[in-house]
Amino acid sequence: MIETLPINAVMRALADPTRRALFERVASASEITVAELTKGSGVTQGAISQHLKSLKQAGLVAERPEGRNVYYRAEPEGLAPLFDWMSHYALFWHDRFANLRSILKEIDP
Amino acid sequence: MNEVALQSDTREIVVEANLPHAPEVIWKALTTGELIGRWLQMTPTGFEATTGKRFTYQTKAGGAWDGVIHCQVLEVIPHRRLAYSWKGGHESNSGYGSPLDTVVTWTLHKIDQGTRLHMVHSGFVLPKNESAYTNMSGGWKKVVPRVGEVAGEQG
Repeated sequence: MIETLPINAVMRALADPTRRALFERVASASEITVAELTKGSGVTQGAISQHLKSLKQAGLVAERPEGRNVYYRAEPEGLAPLFDWMSHYALFWHDRFANLRSILKEIDP
Repeated sequence: MNEVALQSDTREIVVEANLPHAPEVIWKALTTGELIGRWLQMTPTGFEATTGKRFTYQTKAGGAWDGVIHCQVLEVIPHRRLAYSWKGGHESNSGYGSPLDTVVTWTLHKIDQGTRLHMVHSGFVLPKNESAYTNMSGGWKKVVPRVGEVAGEQG
C-alpha cells in the first residue's frame, strides 16, 4: 500500500480541470514563469501560484529560481505512478529520436 | 467495468519525424547492431533483420526483473517497415519493472526531402487499479495522449 499515497497525490493534482490545464501548459513549454502562465489564463497570479504549489507537491513540476523569476518545468517522471512504463518510454523514445537524428547526420552528412 | 474491457485498454506512443536522409540510410541505422547501440544506447544481442529472429536488450534491472528486454522480429520489409515485440518486466513489480508486452513498429515513407519516419510503441496496458481511474473522471485520458505528444515534439 506504499504506492497509494503518490498515486492519490498525482490524481488529486490532476483531477482539478484548471490545474490539469496548467500542467499541460507547463508541459508544452520547456520552461515558463508564473507571469507567463497567468497571461490569458483568466485566473489570478495568486491562484496560479497555488496550483503550481500543488503540482510541485505531487512531483509533477519543478521550479528553478533565477534572479527575480521562478521558472517552472514539467517533470513527466511525476506521472510515473499513473503511467508507469508508458511515461518511461515516452521520454525514452523522445531522447532516442534525438540520438538517431545526430547519428544519421554523422553517417550521412 | 469488466476486467476484459479494462485489460484491452491499451495505449501507444507515437513518434514521427521528417528526416533529411534516404530510407536506405535510416534503415541501416535501424538494423545495424553497432548503430542501434549508439542511438538507442543499448546494443542488441542476437539482432538480425529477419522475421522470427529473437534478440535481447539489457537495461536497468528493477525489483525481481533482471532488466532483460526480450524481442522477436515480427515483420521486415526492407527500407519500409520493421516490427519487433518488446517484452520484459516481472509480475511482482509495479511501476518500473512491471510486466511489459509491447510491440515496436517502424515505418519509413520516402518523401521529397528524405524520409518520414514513424514509430509506434504499442500495447501499454494501463494499471489495473480501476477505481483510481474512475476517480479521475476521465482526466487521465486527457493527459496520456499529451505524454505521447511531448515525445513527438522532436519530430
